Amino acid sequence: MSDLKETLKEQIIEQLNLEDLTPADIQNEISLFGDEGLGLDSIDALEFIVLLEQHYGIKIEDPSEGKEIFQSVDSLAAYIEKNR
Amino acid sequence: MGSIAKLERRMSQIYLSYGGLITPLGTTVSENFANMREGKSGVQKIKGSGFNKEDWPLGKMETLTSNNRYRELLNLTCEKLIEQNGEQLFSDPRTLIILSSTKADITDLPNDTFASTRQILNERLNPASAPVIISNACISGVLAINTASDYINAGKYDTVVVIGIDVLTDFIIYGFQSLFALSAEPSQPFDKNRKGICIGEASGTIIVSKHKPENLFHVEYLGGSSSNDANHISGPSRTGEGLYRSVNKTLQRSGINSFDIDFISAHGTGTLFNDEMESIAFDRLGLNNVPMNSLKGYFGHTLGAAGVIEIISTMLMMEHGLLLRSIGFEETGTSKQINVLKENIQKNTKVALKTASGFGGGNASLIIKKSV
Amino acid sequence: MRILGACKVSKEGVIVNNESKTELLASSDDWKKELYSSLKIDYPKFHKMDALAKMAFLSFQYLEQVIETDRFQDDEIAMLFANTYSSYDTDQKYLESYTVKGSPSPSLFVYTLPNILTGELSIFKKWYGENIFFIHENFDPEFFIDQINFYLSKGAKACLCGWVDAANENEECLLFMVDNTTGEITKDELLNYYKQ
Repeated sequence: MSDLKETLKEQIIEQLNLEDLTPADIQNEISLFGDEGLGLDSIDALEFIVLLEQHYGIKIEDPSEGKEIFQSVDSLAAYIEKNR
Repeated sequence: MGSIAKLERRMSQIYLSYGGLITPLGTTVSENFANMREGKSGVQKIKGSGFNKEDWPLGKMETLTSNNRYRELLNLTCEKLIEQNGEQLFSDPRTLIILSSTKADITDLPNDTFASTRQILNERLNPASAPVIISNACISGVLAINTASDYINAGKYDTVVVIGIDVLTDFIIYGFQSLFALSAEPSQPFDKNRKGICIGEASGTIIVSKHKPENLFHVEYLGGSSSNDANHISGPSRTGEGLYRSVNKTLQRSGINSFDIDFISAHGTGTLFNDEMESIAFDRLGLNNVPMNSLKGYFGHTLGAAGVIEIISTMLMMEHGLLLRSIGFEETGTSKQINVLKENIQKNTKVALKTASGFGGGNASLIIKKSV
Repeated sequence: MRILGACKVSKEGVIVNNESKTELLASSDDWKKELYSSLKIDYPKFHKMDALAKMAFLSFQYLEQVIETDRFQDDEIAMLFANTYSSYDTDQKYLESYTVKGSPSPSLFVYTLPNILTGELSIFKKWYGENIFFIHENFDPEFFIDQINFYLSKGAKACLCGWVDAANENEECLLFMVDNTTGEITKDELLNYYKQ
């Protein structure tokens, strides 16, 4: 699971073109969205949909489902573990 | 206060007349209007147009057949302009050309995507001054007319030819698809079942001039403005702040009270959030009962051309005393009540408001008045 | 009108009002990130911006060190921007996302318009003023002076103007701000800021 989280961080940086950041800048439990944390928004949530499909074969049809899944690296990893 | 407020600042009279209109519904202004009044839509499902070969409904022009739709359409636009107006107007040193486009010739990557625009305009129209190009997302067309009036008011030019143009490309279609913003069925602006945008392609030309066009239908330009939402680069404001402020500023500059507005040509893209935002702004402005439509059901959303072709359509409605229904609208689907037209209605429209909103948080508006 | 200040940022460094402010480390592979770190501001949105918006944002931070922008109301400043290559740099990256990497990227697509940077600055400052973005063959001081005159005569109290371009490894950004105080700006003045 901790390997998955590290991989996820690298994938998030790659997928969202956050070239300025390193995996160490992203904490597992911190909120990825909103003004704190990474400051991501609804458009970035769509990138997570692409990421899940491309790397883990998980399809999310309705973007509104993503809200809770993409909360943090922790919640993303838990969702992937459960669904892949 | 009288029904017409004191004019704040209007330096010269400015007139708008038809230059041209090329859309899926026709290649002339009159052909377009004949089809529009019959309720025809230029939007249809295009096989395999999506990134995963989905059949998205699009406002695609069958008349464009070459492998560079943009250059073909811009060339055609220039040809028709010369045909109808002669060469003299465009090469006159007192004439400026302004072009509005979001992406221009995107197939030209990795070359400068606006280089071919400059080249075609210079070769075809032989203008005395370098054309001015505006690329400000979906509000470009309205900004272009506002900028034309700036140049005339300042005495820099007597006539400004404003061309709005954008074409369909994979680049744009895939982009809106990636945003989950495309509608699988023809778009339904302001309707409760609206599911998103249909993209379209078109070019429209308006002649903006301090000279009153003789024997040609024309309207007066009263004023215009823009305002940023300061909220999000792609999501519409939840309070309609930018649109609200822009319309207020435009009313002030036009010397018009909101109750003098007879008709609104709204932006109405057909997305959940955009149309909701517009209803909130119009509600805050007290414009709930003014008849309005979105023309996206006729042409699709033509991005940088949208403002220009929708002003031309508004002028046509004013000329013919006929307000066109908002195609795709059946039942109110916004939290604020607004008067979206379900049927064509006969109405003599004196004063019309045009609005646009777009990516980057931009909002723009202008007011035109039927000349008597 | 009067120039309140000008700031040019590029990989060579930062020049504010004709004075060199910061020399960048030649070894740094991303000068924009280096500048952001040196400014010690916390604005996570910066990392998501494209090159155009990043440069405009950075340049604006330096401009605010010499101009007190808060004396203006939230809709009194018009933003007048232009460049040659539109959103070229991001257009390329977005194109690659579906031609090479397998899926069109929504977060890149939203930056494939040059005027997004005026949105970013508006969000940062909560400014509701007028915005416009032009595509111009070259930096043309006379064109800017015309536009400034138009917007000041329409009621803006100040104009934030910018020439921001990113294409083919060439990244440059000049921001300058003008208010409506009596006075004149010359073409040469603007050209000097651009060429420095």
